[in-house]
Amino acid sequence: MSVSRRTFLTGALATTVYMSLWSIDPAKAKINAGSKKEDKELLMKMVRTLYPHDRFPDGPYIRTTDDVINKGNSSPENAIMLQEGIDQLKSDNFSKLDMEESTKYLNKMGRTAFFEHVRGTTTVTLYNDKEVWELLGYEGYSSDQGGYVNRGFNDLDWLPEPRIEEHPDLAAFLSESPTKFAEIKKMIANELN
Amino acid sequence: MKKIDQKESAVVIIGSGAGGGTMAYELTKAGIPCVCLEAGPYLKPEDYTNDEWGAFGQMAWLDKRTTSGNWRVAKDFPGLPTWLVKAVGGTTTHWAGATPRFMEYEFKTKSTYGNIKGASLLDWPIGLEEMADYYTKAENAIGSTHRGGRAALPANNNYKVFANGAKNVGYKFYATGPYGTNAEPYDGRPASIQDGFNFQGDKNGSKWSTAKREIPRALETGLLDLRANSHVIKITHDKKGNVDGVLYMDNDKNLQKQAAKVVVVAGNSIESPRLLLLSESDMYPDGLANSSGQVGRNYMRHMTGSMYARFDKPVNMYRGETMAGFCADEVKHNPNRGFAGGYYMETLSIGPAFMGAFLEPGGWGREFTNMMDGYQNLAGMWLVGEDMPQSNNRITLSNTAKDQYGLPAPNVHFDEHPNDIAMREYAYEKAEALYNSVGAIQTWRTPPYPSTHNLGTNRMSAKAKDGVVDKWGRSHDIKNLFIADGSVMTTGAAANPTLTITALAIRTGEYLASELKKNNI
Ligand SMILES: Cc1cc2nc3c(=O)[nH]c(=O)nc-3n(C[C@H](O)[C@H](O)[C@H](O)COP(=O)(O)OP(=O)(O)OC[C@H]3O[C@@H](n4cnc5c(N)ncnc54)[C@H](O)[C@@H]3O)c2cc1C
Repeated sequence: MSVSRRTFLTGALATTVYMSLWSIDPAKAKINAGSKKEDKELLMKMVRTLYPHDRFPDGPYIRTTDDVINKGNSSPENAIMLQEGIDQLKSDNFSKLDMEESTKYLNKMGRTAFFEHVRGTTTVTLYNDKEVWELLGYEGYSSDQGGYVNRGFNDLDWLPEPRIEEHPDLAAFLSESPTKFAEIKKMIANELN
Repeated sequence: MKKIDQKESAVVIIGSGAGGGTMAYELTKAGIPCVCLEAGPYLKPEDYTNDEWGAFGQMAWLDKRTTSGNWRVAKDFPGLPTWLVKAVGGTTTHWAGATPRFMEYEFKTKSTYGNIKGASLLDWPIGLEEMADYYTKAENAIGSTHRGGRAALPANNNYKVFANGAKNVGYKFYATGPYGTNAEPYDGRPASIQDGFNFQGDKNGSKWSTAKREIPRALETGLLDLRANSHVIKITHDKKGNVDGVLYMDNDKNLQKQAAKVVVVAGNSIESPRLLLLSESDMYPDGLANSSGQVGRNYMRHMTGSMYARFDKPVNMYRGETMAGFCADEVKHNPNRGFAGGYYMETLSIGPAFMGAFLEPGGWGREFTNMMDGYQNLAGMWLVGEDMPQSNNRITLSNTAKDQYGLPAPNVHFDEHPNDIAMREYAYEKAEALYNSVGAIQTWRTPPYPSTHNLGTNRMSAKAKDGVVDKWGRSHDIKNLFIADGSVMTTGAAANPTLTITALAIRTGEYLASELKKNNI
């Protein structure tokens, strides 16, 4: 995918969402900001606080954090943004905050470029992670397995089987003129009163 | 494949989606050779992928666009106002398949609803009577279920929740269609294997698209010169003011020219008006076919919103057809509800990848992840209703932003009309009631996605001063310039638009073929 697509969404909150999809080849980016172990841990804590899933292991969060770092180094401007964001977390002792405090803290941070970069990348990368799909019970790719026709597309059994055909009055209902329809409604309402 | 010389004045169709693909088939079937120029590649079912972001990156129209107005899309997705496809088959490759017809009065909303402040309502120059036969032809082309004796799709899990809820709250008019994916083999296409991923191009080929039906059949006539990866950037005209050719960029960004005796514009409601505006000249300083000043105006995108509901038991909504569930009880105009027009409820499923980005753009935190965490237990529906046309909701050429060729990018301006907002609020409440009646433990009002329905920017009108094309899709100003896509819609109705776009294109195609045979053009 070409680099130019990175910029097709710019604005209050979405830049990063789409950056994560088509932007850069991370292998080619020179990683500077966020590569230290403690920086990574800080970012991962932020990622988890934004999108907490108690039953997710570290794997998806680690991969997502790596992506936040890779994409945050896609240009010198981004690398500066990322490093400044990390420095701020450090000086505010983010690593010491518990879940409730860190949620409050991020709420106050507001939609800075750094916040949007981390949040936007995470919302795309985390939920596009194949292990996450499995954890959520999503089976994904299906055409190569013959679809779901024999794999539970209609296995819901806690509700009665509904009608699939149209109601016999549908055609009449749709062709009724709205004035007439309003009159009928009024008649019904009067009847009920 | 047919090769038409670039110097030969041909019938040139721009775009190969619902409108353009249908035109190509109608004309070649009638023995008329055509050139079809399509900006995107010719992808086949084996190229499609069961991967939401993968398919989006593969086919979505991602050229530079800008947005303005008070709609939330301008904030959430400022560079991506629409979800459209750049590929042979156009957006029918990603469409789901809901195919309701307009109701009779929806062709006459100005007369029916009266004057609504701020709305530029106008009656269509045609009505259901003229359209009925074409609707039948389009349903037969698409293979709409529940129509023409075709079978209904079976109930999938998402539909079971939807239909039971509908019944509980007293609705009657629910069913699994009409829907443009086969329940049984039809017209050379197999029955659905409930593989989902309609929005990603249907690998199984059970779903109708012009890439699956009209384009291959037009090629089989031996009369279609299909040029993929050919992006038209200007329509040219002769001294008399008739169009006489198009300029386009080929795959290698080389400028090419094709001479034309007729041009049919079918690039969708953003690119069609943009192309007419880009084609300005000394003779037409405001763009082609724009003596009315209506080119680009009255942009409509339907009132939309989604409702997702979480239950304490599994649903697995993603298994099976993406949208095969339909409820019409709220569709009739009934001003007692506090708004004009009406809306449909339709089942909808998206995977975790899209859910993460679209459930609540910008959203995060526990409440959000509770929904995501319960993904298996989610059911979902889409709300789609008539929105009010407004003169200032419009496509213009940006003064600053440029596309990949250095041409002005389109700006999409949209302000929501109070009627749109009132309808959405009402629809959310009704949808919540429906899901609560079957035991929802959490519901979510998801705001509109980038627009999948794009309508009205070259509206059809009886009088030349009110619109851009006449009742045949022919421009009022230039007799050999036609438009055949969603942009010709005078008003949008509540119905998903593609059946109507296809029916109109069949009608325009028949008319153009007969005019050409009579040597009237
Ligand atoms: C996810 C999704 C689901 C949908 N579900 C439904 C549904 O259930 N029911 C329904 O009725 N509708 C649905 N739609 C909408 C439907 O796809 C569109 O209404 C329909 O395809 C529009 O037809 P069109 O001919 O106006 O444009 P398109 O089908 O978009 O075709 C336009 C074509 O023109 C090409 N083009 C544009 N500009 C140029 C140029 N300058 N040069 C060359 N080529 C150009 C484009 O690449 C494209 O191929 C859905 C859409 C999406 C995205």
